[in-house]
Amino acid sequence: MSPGTVHTIIDDLGALLLFTMILIVAAGQIYRAIYAVAAQSLFIAVAGGVLATATGNVDLWVIAGITLTVKAIVLPWVLHWVVQRMNVRREVEPVIPIGATLALAVVIVVASFQLSASLGPVRQAITGNALPVGIALTLTGVLVMATRKTALTQMVGLFASENGIFFTAMAVTQGMPLIIEIGVILDVILAALVMTIMVLRVRSTVDADIADLDRLRG
Amino acid sequence: MIGGERPLGLVLLEMALLVLLGPLVTGTIQKMKARLQCRRGAGVLQPYYDLIKLLRKGTVQADTASGFFRSIPVLVLAATVTAGALVPVVRVGPTTFPLGDALMLLGLLALARFLTAVGALDAGGAFGGMGASREMTIAPLVEPVLMMVVFSTALTAGTTELGALAAHRGTSWIVAWRAADFLGFAAMLVLLPAETGRIPVDNPDTHLELTMLHEGMLLEHSGPGLGCMLLASHTRQIVTLGLVAALFFPAGPADAAGALGLLLGAGAFAVKVLVLATYLALVESSYAKLRLFRVPQYLGVGFVCALVALALRIL
Amino acid sequence: MAETLLWVLPLVPTVTALLMLTTRDRRILSAIDVGGSAVLLALTLVLAREVAAGGPRALGVLRVDDLGLVFLLLLVVLTLAVSIYTVGWLKQALAVGNMKSELLRSYFALVHAFVATMVVTILADNLGVLWIAMEGTTITSAVLIGYHGHRHGLEAAWKYIIVTTIGISFGLFGTVLIYAAAAAAGLQGGAGALSWSAIMKVAPTLDPGIVRIGFVFVMVGYGTKAGLAPMHLWLPDAHSQAPTPVSALLSGVLIKCALLGIIRFQTIAAAACGRAFPAEVLLVFGLTSVVVATPFILAQHDIKRLLGYHSVEHVGIVALGLGFGGRIGTYAALLHVVNHGITKALAFFAAGKAIARYGSRDMRVIRGLLTVAPVGATLLMLAALSLAGVPPFSIFVSELMVLRAGIGQGHWVAIAIFLAMVVIIFAGLLHHAGSMAFGEPTAAATREPESWSPLLGMMLLAGIMILLGLTIPAPLDGLLRRAMEIIVG
Repeated sequence: MSPGTVHTIIDDLGALLLFTMILIVAAGQIYRAIYAVAAQSLFIAVAGGVLATATGNVDLWVIAGITLTVKAIVLPWVLHWVVQRMNVRREVEPVIPIGATLALAVVIVVASFQLSASLGPVRQAITGNALPVGIALTLTGVLVMATRKTALTQMVGLFASENGIFFTAMAVTQGMPLIIEIGVILDVILAALVMTIMVLRVRSTVDADIADLDRLRG
Repeated sequence: MIGGERPLGLVLLEMALLVLLGPLVTGTIQKMKARLQCRRGAGVLQPYYDLIKLLRKGTVQADTASGFFRSIPVLVLAATVTAGALVPVVRVGPTTFPLGDALMLLGLLALARFLTAVGALDAGGAFGGMGASREMTIAPLVEPVLMMVVFSTALTAGTTELGALAAHRGTSWIVAWRAADFLGFAAMLVLLPAETGRIPVDNPDTHLELTMLHEGMLLEHSGPGLGCMLLASHTRQIVTLGLVAALFFPAGPADAAGALGLLLGAGAFAVKVLVLATYLALVESSYAKLRLFRVPQYLGVGFVCALVALALRIL
Repeated sequence: MAETLLWVLPLVPTVTALLMLTTRDRRILSAIDVGGSAVLLALTLVLAREVAAGGPRALGVLRVDDLGLVFLLLLVVLTLAVSIYTVGWLKQALAVGNMKSELLRSYFALVHAFVATMVVTILADNLGVLWIAMEGTTITSAVLIGYHGHRHGLEAAWKYIIVTTIGISFGLFGTVLIYAAAAAAGLQGGAGALSWSAIMKVAPTLDPGIVRIGFVFVMVGYGTKAGLAPMHLWLPDAHSQAPTPVSALLSGVLIKCALLGIIRFQTIAAAACGRAFPAEVLLVFGLTSVVVATPFILAQHDIKRLLGYHSVEHVGIVALGLGFGGRIGTYAALLHVVNHGITKALAFFAAGKAIARYGSRDMRVIRGLLTVAPVGATLLMLAALSLAGVPPFSIFVSELMVLRAGIGQGHWVAIAIFLAMVVIIFAGLLHHAGSMAFGEPTAAATREPESWSPLLGMMLLAGIMILLGLTIPAPLDGLLRRAMEIIVG
């Protein structure tokens, strides 16, 4: 596969990733956010696979495979199960109006492009505009985590953020060492598990959604 | 760059073709929706019969309407049909005489929308006023996004003239799409129901006051006037679909001269319009109409996609 | 010998944690607890002697140098103190119903797993392993924070895990950028480019722009874990709602581990883009923390939240010390890390006993402590005085050194603000502590005698605190000096 083709494919995947990111920010219901992040993880896995064939780096195949199974299939399924069985609220409750969040997302995208311009020296020629997309994805994931009250949407934001970090790492250095990547993914899985358990615990002990807990102040 | 030039005769032919085929597209969408809803539905040619029926009826006008009201349907139809002249149908390429570009097309469509709203207000009815105000709430969200999408595609071609733009994009399509094109196309797909007045933004089948936008503005028209307005909305729909086709898949068969080339070009155009019409029918059958205050959120997604597409092009 | 110790050290708390799962008896669990902590302390002292004699040692992704030793010693001493304290505290907590006896073994196991992740954080040479271990501490401590199981605890744990995970994502992003810079500077791909020691060797050749941006992200990220303002919002909730021994560990050690992460990146940044830039960033965050914490300390009713905000302030002081820089500033910052760790743990212990006695965290309810529990009240007053910066306690010494460093570098505005805040906090803290210790005991006070094990733990810490206030023993001084050399370069 010629570098030019890889460049184009990764560019296009980057655009699709940005689209899924917009969908996550604008999601009005949890299901849509979950499907969007699953699609996003799928695209990341594809990008990893493409880069792996282009550079011959075997580690990337492993990472792509793990991302596909864990973040595109297993974790969204778990979230889906929690929403269905546990009668968690399905509406996403934003702290600031969705329009404002979308505006912030646009600002983030533009800022990421500016930022990546100043990071030029480390950018790999082969991965095109993967760096600004990766930065935008990470920051938007954090935005979603910070501006949503619903616990499960915050977890979706966490997954999106980790997707972005992986994409950035891919863009600048063809991925971090395998052991680190695996450790990062493990951490994300554990964090998601702990958070899920907490949501269920709050449900059962306090009989309220975790978004309603706001007594600690001052 | 493919295609040749489009002389005056060809432009007039394309314009006539669009006007004639507009109701057919609407009929096809209605038929597809009916099939998806497990009904047989009216025939594909039903809109034509409706238009002919209306032309034979007399006109009734409200007392409170002014003389201007009578000319509104004709003006609206004229604006929309002129917009149709700007869309390359059978062959891509610039026109031989200065005609107008994509911005002019959007301007003409906006003019048509404005005149419709004015007419509705002029008649002094409550439904008209409400429909007009709702339509004008949606319009400022739709039109800038359309322009941004046009700009993002025009940046590479260096021109906003639709024929030249389409020629520049050439026969290649999805595999040659840049990242910005995906997002621009996504924005257009979000906007299509808004521009053509379909679910989830507006319901073209209803006449209930709570759900009308476009229909509300048409209530006061009757007879041939109403026929003109309906024809204008059919033409508007096919013009928008043609715009999408010209911006994103102008691929037609390689330039063949003479009648064969025209036929092939017309065939390709028909296929593209059919695909987009299927998309509209599917969307209409899958979703419910959004409440009015949620429409800005929905259009916001399109706005952000278009903005990011533009940003990707510039940065 | 030292190399083996490097991988044995994280294993000890892990094995202890696993051992905890085998029994349900409270006494056996406490015995394993204290035993495990004592073994850890002993091994660390051995390692310290080896490093003092032969210099830094490394084994794979783990590495120990004098800088890491400072934090490691703090961690193991506090772990032992916490284990001793827990013996008595747990009896009372079980009686009251705050802890459930069937959940005891998972509690102990989690505490030691938490300690194990912190050991790995301190010993990590590989920046990626550092991040993974840091996230590990978040996960284990989040479960511990919500351990009491009531509503506020769960809310605090949720806020904690969300805010710190957001922050730590920034940290990971910064790590990726530094990794990219190192790889671009020619370091071998793979684990080599993430090794702190390897990066330090090529640091002057790194691209300054990238390192700058990476360092800012790392500051925000690890700063969230450290409790620097404005990312500190989780800290008062988490440290106040957690069980008291866990609060002591969180406030005493965990935030210091995050600071170690910041220091490691600071050294890279100082070498790559000059000392001034990281110093300025640290100064801004440090000053903001001190200023933001002050009004909340004054207006506080909940004693553990008060101590939480105090941690924010003291972390700010450490950041100020690092920001002022130079030999004095860095030495002061490291000394303050040790001093604050010990003193804050002591304060939490004393507060925990007071809360248990009065059944409430509200400082307006806790009155007349001196009459009902003289030893505990004395220790509480000592801890409060020390936190406020009164001589002859340890914190006074380090705060004074930070001040000296600032004056020496000429940061007059920062010094002025710092002094003003310290004075205000001194007044506030003294008022709070005094009203708790003196006066007539309120009706809520129980009059049972004080149990010996918490007192033992507290007196151990108090002893160290007073010792460090009077003089810094030569081995510790040497260790701190060598650690300072690593940072100042």
